[in-house]
Amino acid sequence: MSDSGDSDIAWTLYKDRPEWKDITPVSEDDGPNPVVVIAHSEKFEDVYDYFRAVLKKNEKSERVLQLTKDAVELNPANYTVWQYRRDLLKALGTDLRSELDYVESVIKQSPKNYQVWHHRRVLVEWLQDPTLELELTGDALLQDPKNYHAWQHRQWAIKTFGLFSKEMAFVDNLITEDVRNNSAWNQRYFVVNNHLGWSDLNVQREICYAMEKIKFVKNNESAWNYLRGVLLHDKRGLSGNAVVTSFCEDLYKNKCRSPYLLAFIIDICDEAIKKGELSCFHNPDRAIELCTALATKYDKIRSKYWNYISEKFKIAKNEQEEKEKQQENGDKMDD
Amino acid sequence: MSHEERIELAHRQHVKYFMRFLNILPSSLSSHDTTRVTIAYFSVCGLDVLGSISSINLELRQRIVDWIYQLQVHPNKESGDMSSCGFQGSSTINIDLGAANSHYRCGHLAMTYTGLCILLTLGDDLSRINRKALVEGVKALQTDEGNFSATLSGCESDMRFVYCAACISYILDDWSGFNIEKATEYIIKSINYDFGIAQCPELESHGGTTFCALATLALTKQLDKLSTEQVEGLKRWLLFRQVDGFNGRPNKSVDTCYSFWVGASLKILDILHMTNYGNNRKYVYETQDCVVGGFSKWPDTCTDPMHTYLGLAGLSLIGENGLLEIVPTLNITNRAFEHLKTIHQKWATES
Ligand SMILES: [Zn+2]
Repeated sequence: MSDSGDSDIAWTLYKDRPEWKDITPVSEDDGPNPVVVIAHSEKFEDVYDYFRAVLKKNEKSERVLQLTKDAVELNPANYTVWQYRRDLLKALGTDLRSELDYVESVIKQSPKNYQVWHHRRVLVEWLQDPTLELELTGDALLQDPKNYHAWQHRQWAIKTFGLFSKEMAFVDNLITEDVRNNSAWNQRYFVVNNHLGWSDLNVQREICYAMEKIKFVKNNESAWNYLRGVLLHDKRGLSGNAVVTSFCEDLYKNKCRSPYLLAFIIDICDEAIKKGELSCFHNPDRAIELCTALATKYDKIRSKYWNYISEKFKIAKNEQEEKEKQQENGDKMDD
Repeated sequence: MSHEERIELAHRQHVKYFMRFLNILPSSLSSHDTTRVTIAYFSVCGLDVLGSISSINLELRQRIVDWIYQLQVHPNKESGDMSSCGFQGSSTINIDLGAANSHYRCGHLAMTYTGLCILLTLGDDLSRINRKALVEGVKALQTDEGNFSATLSGCESDMRFVYCAACISYILDDWSGFNIEKATEYIIKSINYDFGIAQCPELESHGGTTFCALATLALTKQLDKLSTEQVEGLKRWLLFRQVDGFNGRPNKSVDTCYSFWVGASLKILDILHMTNYGNNRKYVYETQDCVVGGFSKWPDTCTDPMHTYLGLAGLSLIGENGLLEIVPTLNITNRAFEHLKTIHQKWATES
């Protein structure tokens, strides 16, 4: 936010206000030779000169409450002003509902400012009333569906006050609107993890949901990551769920070569090898082949990474062949 | 202008750019009033990365050092309490306050961290810091959860300040204000289902906070607390941030600063070489203003000191010619880090 000191013509400086005559302003002491000096407007200096003065006096009054509003408008990132304002609210017994309205208006102007969201949170804690939080954060997410501050506040309110009931519908809307909205996918995980739980039924439902969305947009990291995240809660793992493995093979058969799909199949192979459950689809050779395809064609920007993964499978393959040989030898000895 | 022309480092212009920020800033930057130390950090350390620390003459160097020390909050004169100690980000609240309201004047972890980096980069011997007090100031800010608040009076707590607290403790060579076990627990709790790391548990994975977390684990020598699965997952998540430059979250736009945040994270995991340097470099250069200097987050948008510094730091990580090498964990040059080591040696012999 910029300090537009000259735009409001009707502004009267604090030093020219008779009702502030009793206060001697305290100017900033930036030392004899300051650096990174901001050429503040006269209005900015005036407001902060008076803020320092009342802070020094520790004055708690209505006029100071108003002064903090002016100070916040000039710099909403000044956390000391916000803290002093909170102390004023307490000392004066101000109606906190009107403060909620006020901070909402500041959030609307500065939705990516840490201090305003912190102020909001403290107020909600004091009031122990989260009724407006879902709407407030919902509005902010309408403006910017990936606003980290809004999501953080929303998760906090939901978790603290148990506001999960309508959250899945909210998330579903956002994902329908933009299937690539990673924040919304994260929130989906949050709701299942904290509220619905990872029952077998829920795991299956979430797997189907993710697969539906992947069918719609195949090259979507968010949906693939979510699918993998859900499978962390499937006892059968990545490789043991036939619905998932055949979904992947179908995509592959239908010429899908999204790096996320290929990476996923590679991970299935990896797990199958570790479990000793090799199949014609999931074995070191297949993984090596996919790594090569990624490195040379479908994900060239990460070619070095895929070669590194490929090396791991080559080692695994050698170990396995070694084992087989030993077994063969052992069998011969038995003869 | 073609990309071929833009791919030259506008060295001279960047030096001028930082020198301007060290002097005087327009009133449009008033919202940075409480964080001026960070602007000084980007400028001083940026000049250092450019190999141009000597552009800061002795007189200016002294001014910067004196200004930073003036922002140091000392123990309470009456009670001796040290919980407010640290550096302030500016002199906005640099006033003497009484016992009832002295807590409004307090250090801020990000300012203490960047303030110390400035002093080191300028070759100061840190003899005027109150080490014990700064450590106590850090200690007062760790929460039960294991993370850190930025300041004593009314601030949020998250991964950014865990990182700042770790850097301060490392620089001061004193971990008594930092509970490593608790912080590590917090970091591991903040690893997400996609293996990226978030600002706090269960939030969305983010390139910046992943850097903060990994750098902290490296500084506290706790990287081995991550499981193989977590390390491999992190590698994948981080490497997938590369599009041409890097983004900070899946499906978000590429931004110059992530060439550092993600690049440094990969460097800490020792796999930065698995990225595509050419594409990364090309993107960062597309955000360079070669007329007045500076880098922006996206091509043809406004430059700022943070993206300028991080753009250069990101280029330095991939070995760009004419740039000094960076220590990815502390985010200062190797040159400044060597100076820190001599200070540590001196402290060790004194104690
Ligand atoms: Zn950025």
